Order: sequence, then structure tokens, then C-alpha cells
Amino acid sequence: MVDVVLSIRDLHKIYSGGVHAVKGVSFDVHEGESVAVIGSSGSGKSTVLRCINRLIEPTEGVIELRGEQINTPLADVNQVRSRIGMVFQSFELFSHLKVLDNITLGLRHVRGMSKSKAEEVALDVLERVDMLERIEAYPGNLSGGQKQRVAIARALAMKPEVILFDEPTSALDPELIGSVLKTIRGLADEGMTMLIVTHEINFARDVADRIVYLDHGQVAEEGPSSIINEPKTERLQKFLSSMHEDKISEDIENELVNTQADHGYVPDGTGNRPRS
Amino acid sequence: MNSASPGIERIFSWSSIDSKSRVVILVSILLICSIPHSSGQETITGWNEAESWTDYDLNAAVIHGEIIWVFGDSGIVRLSEDSGATWQNHTNLGDANLISADSYENSMAVISSEGIIYMKDDFESEWITIDSSQTGMKSVALTGATSLVIVGNEGAIWQYTDQTWWNRTTSFTENLHDVDFNGDEDGLVVGDSGTILATDDGGTTWDYRESPDPDCSIVSISYFNPYRMFAVSDSGQILYSTSPGGFEWQLREIESAGYNTTLATNLSSIDVVSSSRILFTGPDGYLGLSLDQGLNVEINILPTGVNTSFNDHAMFDYVSGIVVGDSGVILFTDRAGENEDIGFQIPDYNNFGEFVEYADDMLLSGFIATVKIVLFGILLGFTIGVILAMLKTAPTSFKNILERYSTNQIRALGAVCLIIGLWLLYTGVNRFPELQLEGLEYIFTPVGDPQGFAMFALGLGIVAISIQFILADKKLSGPIFKVRPLNSLATVYTDFFRNTPLIVQFMFIHFGLRLGMRIQQLMEGTFGDPGIDGIDYFFYGDRTFLSAIFTLGLNSGAYQCETIRGAISAIPSGQMEAGRSIGLTYLGTMRLVIMPQAIRICIPPIGNEMVNLVLNSSLAMVIGYSELSRQGKLMIATTFQIFSAWGLVMISYFVVTWTLALLLRRLEEKTKIPGLGISGGA
Repeated sequence: MVDVVLSIRDLHKIYSGGVHAVKGVSFDVHEGESVAVIGSSGSGKSTVLRCINRLIEPTEGVIELRGEQINTPLADVNQVRSRIGMVFQSFELFSHLKVLDNITLGLRHVRGMSKSKAEEVALDVLERVDMLERIEAYPGNLSGGQKQRVAIARALAMKPEVILFDEPTSALDPELIGSVLKTIRGLADEGMTMLIVTHEINFARDVADRIVYLDHGQVAEEGPSSIINEPKTERLQKFLSSMHEDKISEDIENELVNTQADHGYVPDGTGNRPRS
Repeated sequence: MNSASPGIERIFSWSSIDSKSRVVILVSILLICSIPHSSGQETITGWNEAESWTDYDLNAAVIHGEIIWVFGDSGIVRLSEDSGATWQNHTNLGDANLISADSYENSMAVISSEGIIYMKDDFESEWITIDSSQTGMKSVALTGATSLVIVGNEGAIWQYTDQTWWNRTTSFTENLHDVDFNGDEDGLVVGDSGTILATDDGGTTWDYRESPDPDCSIVSISYFNPYRMFAVSDSGQILYSTSPGGFEWQLREIESAGYNTTLATNLSSIDVVSSSRILFTGPDGYLGLSLDQGLNVEINILPTGVNTSFNDHAMFDYVSGIVVGDSGVILFTDRAGENEDIGFQIPDYNNFGEFVEYADDMLLSGFIATVKIVLFGILLGFTIGVILAMLKTAPTSFKNILERYSTNQIRALGAVCLIIGLWLLYTGVNRFPELQLEGLEYIFTPVGDPQGFAMFALGLGIVAISIQFILADKKLSGPIFKVRPLNSLATVYTDFFRNTPLIVQFMFIHFGLRLGMRIQQLMEGTFGDPGIDGIDYFFYGDRTFLSAIFTLGLNSGAYQCETIRGAISAIPSGQMEAGRSIGLTYLGTMRLVIMPQAIRICIPPIGNEMVNLVLNSSLAMVIGYSELSRQGKLMIATTFQIFSAWGLVMISYFVVTWTLALLLRRLEEKTKIPGLGISGGA
């Protein structure tokens, strides 16, 4: 039995306006597993994600990181957050800092590393996301895909136990998505534990080990990535068919095929891919 | 746009200035340096040199009726009948050195180093010779027409009365240097080791007086009246006593010498010329004049070529008299030796050049004073602004603070607070009737009884909060738990400073709270006397300066706070989330992520605030701080050149603000982040 890294039990969130965004969501994320959370807009995907690293305080429910509850006033929120990486939809790079300093900021001020040690770690993670040649650039001078890869590197540098991706490609132009997805896929191959909120159905199918489908704040269907090809519930079927009608997603499909080709394997149509 | 780091060295370093700007800066400096600066004020000596017809050292001078007598070495005697301008020979009195002289009503006496006393008991009478048979005598004082006291080495005091010598030597055997009598009974003798002896019976019995410095050698003493006596030591100290009989002596803290107790020069004699005017003489051409009883001593300028040691002086009145010194030097004055200002005797202020010549010194000092308060005001204001802005945006609500405690604990806290609050409220309210106010007048209670009002307000607040604590539910959903206390505090501060006029704040803080005085006293307690120049004086020598920077800083901080807060709100909330999500604390994210971006955004509006602060600094004139506007007013008071004076002041202000604006513009350019914000151009 693989360790449970993240466990969410009966999560509720009622916003101050009275919107009941999350209604009793429960699921687990295991060590080395990548879980994709899919669902239409307003289904509570991002709320669940933000509750996990306590950017939003859940109204009710229990969130456990490696068996210890983290959503109590007694938990050290800063320590919890440094164990959970987060990648945002709109990158949120520190625009006044250069790429390298963006990565070292947390290492130096949270982990207490020396400047040279932090830079060593930073260069290492920047190499993993293939951004070594732009370390002296300001975020304002990067393309969207590059920004997102730096953001992933920033989360990686902290050596998190799990990384949360909040729609990492939604703010990107279609032609820029590929490089980011390739990076995330690379992480999955390395066995990084990941929770990915995404609209990219094909990507979710290809990368995720498990899919959680949220609808109106509830888990409507949960299972291995094959449920995308063979949805059991009507609601997921409907959702998938609406997504497939989207023309852009086909472009992404093509893009994905290309990046997958880069990555050394060709999809066989089952959505399964060799694990390393 | 290059992408180097925007460090401080990049913003103001010489190497970062392009060559065109360098030329402009160098030329400006050159121009400023090459502007001929008028030397301004000039002074000439108030003393004239008289021909004494001798090269012998002159030791004593005395006024006897209309005649000034001067006595010197080898029995030399000179006299002047025209206030010291011309001198006549007189038969020598013996061949020993004549060292001290005194006059009393119609009598005059002079003593030689051999202890022989030559006396005239009337203006027309012949010299009488009295031999004391004592050597080593230093000074003589008449106590009556034919009675006198002489003092000398090893504590010798001899009294001559009724044709007889009496030895009045006391048990104090230090060398004595001078004796002076006020009238015929009260007298003082001074000498080495701070010796001061006093008599109140014409010199028969002498009493010891405590000296303020037992190590100094007191060389000269002078009565002004029975209640005011002055003495000097050879090491430049000024001693004074204001108690009849000279019971208590103090050392003067001399303002013009940086509140030191010594003039840092040797002195040989003192003469109190009028109620406030004191003349000092010393070796090597030292002639000092004080117009305020020794608080400020100005060195007299001497006629060219005179650099002798002065030994004694004699004044007819407080303006005309003489000093005598070695090598037969006699100087006379009819203006008490005061340095004479020249150059501005008949200034024509309608002539712009002469007006500017008069004004530029005042303008420069005002300019420096303004820049001083502006710099410190900006620093203080910006610091306060940043702190307030952080307080105002702090998310810490009562709920955040309390949610880690159980509901019962919070209720217990509420109960305790309620009791404290009720007690404060009760005590505060009970103090109000003492103020005897009626109706609406109660809005003035914060002034009438600040402490009582503070108790009342604090009590009221605590009661209101604690009731909701007691009623707290499990989810802390009461309205009080949404309140952010830090924000409330900052809001009270900004509301206060933004809703009262700056000019009133100036007067309230300086004259009402006396903030400047309090800080000055605090600093004096910690760092000692500020002196009259140097770094101490710069920081806390002037209490109006302290009040002014604090008023400006506190006021400007309230405005800058809102500007900075606006800039903070302009930063996308995701930046805070991103900072927090890598594990930084709230303050850490603020400091490392939000503020560096927010400050850049608010440089233009903060620049506005700073320029405002410079202009507002002119209001410091109401508390007497000598900044530019006040100097302008003073210039008008003397010259009546209203147009020119205010014109000059305006140009000076423009120089300050425009420089500031240029610096800020440069700062803005240099700290600009590539790809952030819209700032003109593509």
C-alpha cells in the first residue's frame, strides 16, 4: 500500500456571500501519484485546491498532510505551505525580481539557505524546467510558457511533498501550452506527487493516474484516467462531450502529440503510457 | 532597458550618469563655486593706541578724579587728563616696580614690589610714602581715605589703618593675587588654589569662601555691586557670585566657548564696567569683552601691530577707558573697546545688489534649515507612512487572533475585559465633573483631562468589545471578530492628522506638547550637553528643529500612508498568495514581495507628498524655526524690500523642490522594472 500524502475528508466551503462552493468533497492523493481534478467552471475545483494550502479557510472538513491535520488554527501555516508547492493559473512570479531571484527567495528566507547554496539549488531546478538560459531576465520579459515553467521551478525548489497546479495552462496561448505540459509530464515521470486542476482533458487523461470529476461542489465521479474514455456517470459524459466539441482542444491534442513525441513515446490511444 | 539589478549604487552612482549629465553637473558646480561671495560683514578695532613715552612694562592703571594714572616698572608714572589720548611724564616713584594701584573717593594708592606704598589723600596733595616693610606684595585696595589693605605671597594680608600696620594673615597660606573692596567694609581677596577670602569689617577679619574650582589660580576680582562679583582665573575661567558677602561662587558656563567653563586663554585681570559689561585682559594681546555678564565673550580686535600682554585697565564709565600692558602699551577707547561693524553703515536696500548682499547670508542659513527639516521630515514621514500602510492592510482580525482559543476561554477573556473596561469607564467618567463643563462643551474633555478621557474612551471600547466576546459563538461570527484592530489604530491616526490644520499641529506640538523640549531633555540626559555646534547641536541643539521635523513627519506620514496603501492595493492579490504559498510569513511577503513593487508604483504620488512637505515646511516659521520663510520675514523687517525678499525666498524654495522632483524622476526611471506597468512609450 502506497502512503497517502494528502487526504481530504468531507470538505465544505461556504463563501461569505452564502455561495456553497464545495459540498463534502473527499479524496486521497498517494505518494508518487498525479491526480487531475476536472470539472466545469464554478464546480469548486480551485476552491478545493486553495483550501489545501490554506489560501482559503474551509468552512468544514479535515485536510491531512501525511496523516496530520493541517486546517486547524494550531497548525503552523507557513511550515505547511512550504511543504506544499503551488503553481498558479496566472504564474504570479515576483515581477521585481529576476528569474534566479524568484527561485532563491523562498530558499533563502524560508529555508534559511545561504545565497550561494540557494543559487545552486535554483540552477538545478531551472535546468529541470529548461529555463537555464533566461536566469537574468525579469518575468516581464518572458513569454507565458516560460513564466509558468519558472513558476513550476519556484515550487519545485522548495522540495515540496506535493505540488498543486491551479489550471497551469488556462492563461496561456495554445502554442505555448505544450512546453508547460511537457514539464509537468516530466515531473510525473519522475514520480512527483501532484494534484492538477485542469481543463485539458486529454492532458489529464495522459498524465494523471487518477481523475476526480467535480460537479457543483461534489465529487461526481472518481477513478483511473480511463474513465475519460469510458465515463460511468451521465454528468461526466455530458461534460466530456461539451469539451470535445471545443475546437481548440483538438489543437492541443496535436500539440500534445508533438510534445509526447519529444518525450520519447507515441500515444497508443489507450491513454496509458509507460511509467519509468 | 538593461536588466541589471536596481541597487542603490546604480541609482546615484557617478558611473551610472551619462556623459551629457556629467557635463551639466560639473558646469553647475563650477558656476556655483565661481560666484563671487561678498565677505559680508567687516569689523575694525574699537581701541586706539596712545603714545606712552616709555618702553617699560605698565602694570597698573587707576582713575583719580579726572585723571588717569598709569604705573609701571622701575617706578615709572604717566598721567593723562584727556581720557587716555595723550600722556604726560610724572616724577618716578622710587625705582622699584609699581605693581598695583587703587583709588577711593579722593584718595589713591600704589604699591611697589618692595612693599612701599605711595599715597595721595587728595587730588592736589603731595605723595605720601608708607613703608609696609613687606616684600612679595601683589595688590592694594583702599578702604578709606588713609586706610588700606595689601595682600601678597603666602597668604599675607596686612591692614593699614590709624597710621599702623596690622597683620591680618589667616591660616590660608596660598599666594594671594588680588584684593578689591566695595565701599569701606566689604572686601574680597583671591589667590592660588581657588582661594577666596571675604571680609565685612574693612579687612580686620577674613573668612574662607568655598571655591567652585579648588585647583584654579584666581588672579583678579572685581565688584560690580554688593550683590554681584566677578573673578577670573589665569586659566580663563570666569567665576561669579550673586550672594551678598560672596558666600556662593559659581563657574560661568560660557556660551560663546561652547558652554565650557573656560575661555581657553590665560587671563590677567577683570573689570566689571557696567551691570552687564565685563572687560577681560590677558597675555599675548587678549582683550575680551562681554556684554552679558560673561555668557558670551567677544575678542576685541586690536590696532595693527599690538600684541603685548595686557596687565590692567581703568574705565571712566562704561564706554571710555584704557588698558595698559607690557612694553609701555596704552590703548584707549570711547566705545568700551567694542568691535566696530563697518560695511553696512548706510546700506541702500533699494539697490538690489546691496539688498542681496545683506540677504544672502540669511537666505543661506534659512535654506540649510529648510533642507534639514525637509530631509528628516521626509525620512520620518515615509517610515511612518510605510508602517501605517502595512497596519492598514494587515489582515489580522480579532478572529485570527482568537480562533486558536476555545469559546469558553474567549468568554472568560471577555468577562475579565468587561470588568476592566467598566472600571476604566467609571473612573474616567467620574473625573469629568471636575472640569465643570456643560452640554456641548464636553467635546473638549480630551483637552481638559487627557488622562480621564483616555480612560473613558478605552473603557468604552473595551466594554463594547468584551460584551461580544462574552456572547461569542463557536464560529466567532459576531461583527467584532471581523474588526481588524491594527487597521483601526492606523485609521484613528490618519483621521486625526488629516482632519486638523498643519499650522495648528505645529503650534500644538511645539508649544502645547512641547515635544521638542522633551526630546531635547531626553537626549541631553542620554548624550549630554549639545554644545553650540557639531553633531550634537545639529541633532538636538534646537528644540524648534525637533518639533518641526516631528510635526512634518507625523503629518506627512498620514498622507503618505494612504498613497502607499493605494499602491499596495494595486499589487495583484496573487502576489501575496504566491509569497505565502512558498512559506513566507505575511510580513516576510510584505517586505520581500509586495513593498518592493508597491513602492515603485507609488514613487510619483509619494514625490507629490514630498514636494508638499517641502512647501509645508514654511509653516515651521510659526514656532520660530528659522527656515526660509521666517528668514524672508526677518529680511523684510530690516529692509522693507517686500518684493525682493519674498522673490528670493520663492526662488530658494523652487531650487529645493525642483531638485527633489528631479531626483525622484531619476529614481523612478532607475527602479523601473522591465515589463511592469504602463509608463509611456511602447
